[in-house]
Amino acid sequence: MLQRAEILGVRDFYRDYFAVAVLIGAALLMVGAMLGAGRLIRPVRPQAEKYVTYEAGSDPVAGWGQSNARYYIYALLFLIFDVEAVFIFPWAVGLEGLGTFGVVEMTVFIVLLALGLVYAWRKGVLRWA
Amino acid sequence: MIGGGIDTGTRIVGPDVDFLAIGPVLALAVAALVVILVRAILRKRGPVNQISLGVGLAGVAAAGVLLGIQWNEVRDDGTITTIAGAVRLDTFGVFLGVVVLAATAMSLFLAASYLEREELEAPEYYALMLLSAAGMLTMTTANDLIVVFVALELLSIPLYVLAAFDRRRLSSQESGIKYFVLGAFSSAVFLYGIALTYGATGTTSLTGIADFLSANTLFEQGTLLAGLALLLVGLGFKVAAVPFHMWTPDVYQGAPTPVTAFMSSATKAAGFAALLRLLGVAFPLYRTDWRPAILGLAVLSLAVGSIAAVIQTDVKRILAYSSIAHAGYILIGLQVDTARGRQASLFYLLVYAFMTVGAFAVITVATRKGDDKHSLDDYRGLALRRPVVGGLLGFFVLAQAGVPLTGGFVVKLEIFSSAVDAGEYGLAIVGVLAAVVAAFIYLRIAVALFTSPGGEAADASEDRPVDRWTAAVLAVTTAAVLFAGILPGAWLTFAKDATFL
Amino acid sequence: MESDFPILSALIVTPALGALVVMAMPARRPECVRLAGYVFSFAVLALAGWLLFHYEAGSGYQFVEREQWLGDLGVQYKVGVDGISLFMVALNALLFPIALFASANITERTKSFFAWMLALEAALMGVFLSLDLIVFFVFFEFVLVPMYFLILGWGHGRRTYAALKFFIFTMAGSAFLLVGVLVLAFLHSDHTGKLTFDLATLTAWAPEGLDPGAAKALFLGFFAAFAVKVPLFPLHTWLPDAHTEAPTAGSVILAGMLLKMGVYGFLRFSLPLFPQAAVDLAPLLLVLATIGIIYGAIVAAMQPNVKRIVAYSSVAHMGFAVLGIFALTTQGLDGGVFTMISHGLTTSALFLLLGMLYDRRHSYEVDAYRGLWKVMPVLGGLFCVAAFASIGLPGFSGFIGEFLALIGTFIVEKPYAVVGAIGVVFAAVYLLWVFQRTFMGRPTGENAKMKDIGFRELACVVPLLALSLFLGIWPKPVLDVIEPDVKEVIQQVERGSDYREPAPAFEDAPSGHDDGGHE
Repeated sequence: MLQRAEILGVRDFYRDYFAVAVLIGAALLMVGAMLGAGRLIRPVRPQAEKYVTYEAGSDPVAGWGQSNARYYIYALLFLIFDVEAVFIFPWAVGLEGLGTFGVVEMTVFIVLLALGLVYAWRKGVLRWA
Repeated sequence: MIGGGIDTGTRIVGPDVDFLAIGPVLALAVAALVVILVRAILRKRGPVNQISLGVGLAGVAAAGVLLGIQWNEVRDDGTITTIAGAVRLDTFGVFLGVVVLAATAMSLFLAASYLEREELEAPEYYALMLLSAAGMLTMTTANDLIVVFVALELLSIPLYVLAAFDRRRLSSQESGIKYFVLGAFSSAVFLYGIALTYGATGTTSLTGIADFLSANTLFEQGTLLAGLALLLVGLGFKVAAVPFHMWTPDVYQGAPTPVTAFMSSATKAAGFAALLRLLGVAFPLYRTDWRPAILGLAVLSLAVGSIAAVIQTDVKRILAYSSIAHAGYILIGLQVDTARGRQASLFYLLVYAFMTVGAFAVITVATRKGDDKHSLDDYRGLALRRPVVGGLLGFFVLAQAGVPLTGGFVVKLEIFSSAVDAGEYGLAIVGVLAAVVAAFIYLRIAVALFTSPGGEAADASEDRPVDRWTAAVLAVTTAAVLFAGILPGAWLTFAKDATFL
Repeated sequence: MESDFPILSALIVTPALGALVVMAMPARRPECVRLAGYVFSFAVLALAGWLLFHYEAGSGYQFVEREQWLGDLGVQYKVGVDGISLFMVALNALLFPIALFASANITERTKSFFAWMLALEAALMGVFLSLDLIVFFVFFEFVLVPMYFLILGWGHGRRTYAALKFFIFTMAGSAFLLVGVLVLAFLHSDHTGKLTFDLATLTAWAPEGLDPGAAKALFLGFFAAFAVKVPLFPLHTWLPDAHTEAPTAGSVILAGMLLKMGVYGFLRFSLPLFPQAAVDLAPLLLVLATIGIIYGAIVAAMQPNVKRIVAYSSVAHMGFAVLGIFALTTQGLDGGVFTMISHGLTTSALFLLLGMLYDRRHSYEVDAYRGLWKVMPVLGGLFCVAAFASIGLPGFSGFIGEFLALIGTFIVEKPYAVVGAIGVVFAAVYLLWVFQRTFMGRPTGENAKMKDIGFRELACVVPLLALSLFLGIWPKPVLDVIEPDVKEVIQQVERGSDYREPAPAFEDAPSGHDDGGHE
């Protein structure tokens, strides 16, 4: 019996994917139809500026790098603490159930992240200039 | 609380944790964190490099002691399964843990003087290497595909950074990027394999998969087989088996030499740990399906690793190709799927770690600052100019060629025995022929070492004396390779005790 | 036999120890290195002498020692000596001190040279004493390493090429040997449940236990390794290169000992283990051996380089040895073993003499020399004697060996014997031709100013030639020791195959005169 159920499960699994395939097909068809129609009816007047990458108003030609490397550090630091919060909220909700072990585990987790911050700080990452 | 979906009063019972089982991993991870902390506090003041190295070695030593305790425990009382079946500690895992740890210790020793010579930042290097080793130790005891994946990432990501660690050298950057791109790709493939396997069996636990497959017969095997194939591909990348080897020559050549030593010894052991466990624990019932695949990998690795090396002129690249060929030999032991075969593979991994670290240790000291002059011409006459250094490189390449009275011969003998024992005569013949072809290239290195460079005399003034750290590594590896070749009894017993999966 | 002294292990360990001692010496003191080399090699000679004295003919393997080595594979370190290996060991012990003594011209890296030479001696001792197939293979393969470095480090012009070719050829051959050994042992363990590489155990089982197809395949696997070493005709091309480029001591050992490993392998392993396959495939070997005899002789006659001439003559001589052995008669096997001993003495002497010429003129070209007899009569005389000994002139050991081999072949396979006998004539042609072109005539140019050989050089060559003469006149002591074990090999072949040795045509080997054609 178990076997049978498993097999059915797998079949259903594939059937769901069939729906996805249909959707993908429909999406491709629709996009193709709309772009194709636009292509047919629009006037064509090529100009050099039209092919330049749009870069939030700044001139994309001047510097090779498209954004300041220092932003990455901030993005990373933000991400670390953002994700930390994602973990801590459910932990806080279930704290009573987890008991002492839970507290120790979360302390370890926070200390680890803090260690990363200390390292970054001492390496001078947080200084802008 | 809306609806009171979570009953905050109920005690949530976490899985039991056997701290002995994960002790070595913790030791290495803690050591890595302490190194980072030391670096953060001291910055560049004082003997920060020495302290970091000391902490790192202390971590490795602690992990070693814990592995020793584990070994006695597991051998006497049997396998320990902990953390809800995610970690499985058995003699097999401990054995490969020892291999990984030995390789890590030796690589740290090699790095000590290398980093100073190349003016690289030592503490970060040690921390990354320790983290990677922690990932490898996790890998050797992983009993769940998810844990395998986490371990895979934990060991790989520091390695990507380490490969590119010499930022000023273009080849090192190239090496890091190549390794990262292909490594990330292989991780993704591996992950997809996990997903398909889970889809087919409903579990990611290795023992769980085996239990499910023995209790149920799948009418539709496509999903499972596709999953298995993708898992093989993912691990094939890590152990550098053909046709998933393309990254190996470039990465081995470009990476700082101690990193290359680490990659060729420890990473290979960890990759094979996962491979052996996956095939032996989770898919023993599908041996008729995976054995032909492993056969193909073994034959291709032997052929490509040996033949492609012949046209190489860079010593590090030659050793990279030879590491591909060595993966082929280890795969033979895996392919025959007998206790003898597994024992041979384990023994091979152990001895190979010493052979390859020894060879790269010589390369570390033989070259001058810059670490990018490794063509055969650069090594010409080395053994005449510096008899000990050159002689040792000769020794290690001959050991890798499988010359008798070195460990290289005994491991090959064991591998071929297991193949013949299983009736795989063809595989054994492919193996010995590959050894002959490979001997050709090893001899080319030996020739370069022992013939005078002609032309301008080599500038002996630039040769640096062998520092004591490297000297220690050379002494240990030489002794180990000789010992394994002349009196392999104890080692073989060790490997035999570890074949129990 | 009574004493517990592990004489055979001592024979292997002493030179190995010598190599280590030499390696530990300071490179600045070559004279110490030399002294240590002589001391250790003479110690081995003394041990071998003791062994010769205490060996009792006709009682199988003696002084056997055994020790577990690779437990899980059942490999054991087992050594023993019988009449066949006894003289190989003795020859080995004799040639090394001489080769070292003759290496006075080695002034660069003397230490490494002596260390490699002693390591080579140890490995060769191991080859001839091992009674376990894996241990035999270990030594068989390890021999390559010192020889490779000797050629590479102290050889002549194209030494890199020659050393590489030597290594790859022989290693490719022995690859098949290794697989063959493993297959044999595991088939044995499949049938009996006991995994062992012990020669005696496998010999007792293999003739009946193997199926004919497997036996034939395994015989060919062993054949690949031994035929390269002998070397038999199509696989011989490494030999002239290796000989020509090797330093004198290397050539002496190469000709004296390394080539014997192949013939010895046929005798010790191929015949007892695969008797039926050996009988079935004997024609192949007889044909190759005969081709080798004729081809070696013809090609030798056309060489402009004296060392190549002697090298090709080795191909011919070893052809006689193989011919005798695969004739599968007592006389043939006697002759084969005796040819090995004799070739070891005479060819080594020739190489030593050529080395002395080279030391003076730095050339091996025949055309470079002329009229040497006038300026160096002693060397000329010795060369003349050595050439005659090598040709197989009656009174020298070469004659006994080749004569017995041919007689033994003639009993069973007349055509091969007849063709082989022509080879003897060719040998006279090329060696006398060399002698004539280099020693006769009027010395010109530099040739007129050459110094005759001194005492040290004399001491190297004379013992070899004297021994060759002694054995040529009175071969009985050697034959008496060889014969029981040769008979044992033939009995093993008869037990394991449908082959029966024709009734003995002679009462005692060398004194016979019957034509012996009857069945």
